[in-house]
Amino acid sequence: MKINKLAPLLLLVLGTALTGCDTVNSVENTNKTGQRNMVPSQQVITDAGFNRRVAIGGVNATTTAGGLLMVQVELKNQTSTIHRFLYTCEWFDADGKQINNVSSASLPDHIDGGEQKFLYCVAPTPACKDFRIKFIEAK
Amino acid sequence: MNQKIILPIISLAGLALFSGCATDAHYVSTGDKEQIISVGQINIQDYANAANAAVKDLLESGVLDRSPNQPALVEISQIINNTSQQVDTDLITKKISIAMLQSGKALTKTVDTKAIGLQQENEFMADQKTTRLPDFTLSGKIIETVDRAGSTRRTTYSFQFALNDAKAGVEAWAVEKEIGKQGTRSSVGF
Repeated sequence: MKINKLAPLLLLVLGTALTGCDTVNSVENTNKTGQRNMVPSQQVITDAGFNRRVAIGGVNATTTAGGLLMVQVELKNQTSTIHRFLYTCEWFDADGKQINNVSSASLPDHIDGGEQKFLYCVAPTPACKDFRIKFIEAK
Repeated sequence: MNQKIILPIISLAGLALFSGCATDAHYVSTGDKEQIISVGQINIQDYANAANAAVKDLLESGVLDRSPNQPALVEISQIINNTSQQVDTDLITKKISIAMLQSGKALTKTVDTKAIGLQQENEFMADQKTTRLPDFTLSGKIIETVDRAGSTRRTTYSFQFALNDAKAGVEAWAVEKEIGKQGTRSSVGF
């Protein structure tokens, strides 16, 4: 009798657990042609939990044809569940003065379980020399 | 006696509970964690999101840098609103126009009637036409698609933009940003 009552409950728990695990499988070429210009970066971690779940893999930078700094950040979801977050790209000129415009808007994004993802930002003006990218996890 | 102790505790707990639910008025920034997400409506952060995607792609493409006249002159053309809500398209075109101006790669043609009148007067006084024709026009469209499954509703807003070469009459650059929202009711967060 007890097993009869527990079985549907266990199935429900198992079902919920399995639907929560939508991870990403991927395939890519082994011999890479493109060379990423990796940028030494320093991280300020105030949410260690989020950093454990979604790690920053690396930062590489390039310049557009028009001389604008373009930064790409690699993220890796180290869990099997989706994570939603908000990211903001901040830009600074050679004097360290912050330059804001629509390029500095906070943008919502998500990363699926086990997914590796790139985010990129383009500097608003050629005067931008430095950057900072902020991440906040959704509640 | 017991009731005398319990009653104030219950009252206090009730008060704490209700004061926790109330939200006092406070200033917020457009892209903060408390943004309101409406499933069937374009929210203010959606305009910023779409404009950001458009500007990022436009500046990265280098199309403005390839213009024979530097900085390129852009005229903001028509943005067609194909959604069920009234949209002031300046909410998005102005963001793009500010970003283009700030980048130093483009100037936008003014829509200010006073400035246009003065420019025409200057032309008349100098007896020569100095009006510079635009190198590009910026056009676009906002499309809404609604899907339903039971009480769950999914609305997708497609923001399409194109930079048209005014001399060649071709699209020199185009981008589409889709913003999808799904749920049964509006919520606060992201």
